[in-house]
Amino acid sequence: MVLSLAWRNIIRQWHRSMLTIAAVAAGLAALIFLWGFNDGVHNTMMRNLQEVIVGSVQIHHNDFFKKPSLSRDIQQNNVLKVALKKAEDASQIKAVSWRLDTFALAVGDDVSEGLVLLGMNARAEEKTTRIAGKVDQGRFLQAGDGAVCVLGATAARNLGVTLGDDVIFLTQDRFGALAADKFQLIGIISSGEMGIDRGLAIVPLNVLQRMLEMDGRYTRVVLQIEPENLEAVTTSLRTSLADQDYEVLRWYDMYPMMKQWVDLENAFYYIFLAVVLLIVAAGIMNTVLMSMLERVREFGVMMALGCSRRILASMVVVESVILGGLGVLLGLAVGLALVTWFHSIGIDLSAEMDTVARFYVDPIVYTEIDSDHLWQTAGSVMAAAIIAAFVPVWRVTRLQPVEAIHHV
Amino acid sequence: MSEDMLLQATGLCKYYHSGDSDIAALDHVDFQLKKGAFTVLSGRSGSGKTTLLNMIGLLDNPDAGSLHIAGEDVLALATSARANFRLQRIGFVFQAYNLIRVLSARENVAYVLQLRGMPKKERLNIADRWLSEVGLDGLENRRPDQLSGGQQQRVAVARALACEPALVLADEPTANLDSQHGESLMHLMRDLNERCKMTFLIASHDPVAMAAALQCVYMQDGQIVSRDTV
Repeated sequence: MVLSLAWRNIIRQWHRSMLTIAAVAAGLAALIFLWGFNDGVHNTMMRNLQEVIVGSVQIHHNDFFKKPSLSRDIQQNNVLKVALKKAEDASQIKAVSWRLDTFALAVGDDVSEGLVLLGMNARAEEKTTRIAGKVDQGRFLQAGDGAVCVLGATAARNLGVTLGDDVIFLTQDRFGALAADKFQLIGIISSGEMGIDRGLAIVPLNVLQRMLEMDGRYTRVVLQIEPENLEAVTTSLRTSLADQDYEVLRWYDMYPMMKQWVDLENAFYYIFLAVVLLIVAAGIMNTVLMSMLERVREFGVMMALGCSRRILASMVVVESVILGGLGVLLGLAVGLALVTWFHSIGIDLSAEMDTVARFYVDPIVYTEIDSDHLWQTAGSVMAAAIIAAFVPVWRVTRLQPVEAIHHV
Repeated sequence: MSEDMLLQATGLCKYYHSGDSDIAALDHVDFQLKKGAFTVLSGRSGSGKTTLLNMIGLLDNPDAGSLHIAGEDVLALATSARANFRLQRIGFVFQAYNLIRVLSARENVAYVLQLRGMPKKERLNIADRWLSEVGLDGLENRRPDQLSGGQQQRVAVARALACEPALVLADEPTANLDSQHGESLMHLMRDLNERCKMTFLIASHDPVAMAAALQCVYMQDGQIVSRDTV
């Protein structure tokens, strides 16, 4: 009875109801699209950071991240292998790459430059990161390479070297002795990220191990993990390696600024969401309150006939829920259609994004929406519709039958 | 209260504040109604007949006095219990018909039965029967705006009687009808009173209503000034 009466009352003022539903839908669709854009940018940034070079999780010797030193090395021992195997068996790890890195002085054409000398296994890295795809001159490392190197574009320019030139790296080996070797430049990376382009030289892992007297020793294990498994794998590894001299760090433990930036931007969106919710709630309240005020006499008659205030209040709430529910359904359909459409064609912002490209943002934004943002937003709009019924309900429950019946 | 007495009001008072003074809409009214009565409360506008009807219908509270209906002290009832008492015991017919606009004639009549929790099939059958009783065969599915004033008032009568209440209260039921429809409605109510043994209390100053009454009670300035039994 309540549902039937509420529905008929909505139909009775069809144009007004449609306007309200359309307003709710437009508000929700706009929010979903904005979340889609926001999540598209943020997820791309976070994915790029992890997939280009950092990985999702890294395992180091304790304190290596804060105080990097060759003395804080790790080896492929049983404890580490068992911990990794356990996560790999649960299909939670996509790829693993063992690396060795140290600080070095690079000498080019009469110029020297300090940078990070990073030893990578070409095959493992191909499965773990997309760093090879960032090479825009020459090529990336290949299995069987000898003393060759890949430099960031800025570093190569500063050193005055081009493809085929020799670059000498000076550093200290594991025992503190001077180590130096000559590498042929085979590739130049332009990633758009200053740290890579200016301060990185990549060489074959085995060559660097030999140069640094670090055979069988590494400084970090880089894991690539699906985002939904990140916390579980981290917890699992930390538990497995609890009593050992290892640190297990997520990407945002190492580079917290990006996550903080994402959290801050999301906070702005939540404020925006709150403003839109207020507008949605006001719109629904206006419709339901007007509808209620137009029917004061009818409510009075219903009370005189024996209808309880609880039933009348339920009817008002149900009207609000129907208006909100239809608006949410329509808004979800339109919003998701927009997100899906722009996910497939992208939004080209290349003209506006020259300077921010270094923050791992792609110039073409492909919208996507995190499920928690989608349901939080839809749920909040629905909640706003229910809250919007409070004022009309309050008015209904205070109606006196005799006054209501004679209401003009 | 004797067994054949349906309603007994004693010393009912109702005051409205106007500036610094109180105006007595009801001034110590004593009133009784027997079962099966067909009584018209008459008097000029402002005499207090609608106020008395609202008190008896539990739509308004008196400032003083007592009221017993079917042996129950109805003024002692809580709000929700009063709503339930109205649902179970009292039928209303209003001056302005006051049908629910989004419901058909049949649904308007069935509405009170639904409030009582009656199954759909049963309540629709009863609604059709009462619509037939008031001469609205074939108009069951029309909404109020598709019915004439007289037809709407007949639906309102059917709605008031569908629950077979102990007491039917009608406030100026003929006021919005022309004399022919007014007379027809009063005959219908009188006929139902005789056949169904329902008690009617009608507030009206329409001569047609008074002509149909078994008892006329005249009010003036919030007091009952005379009672005429036909």
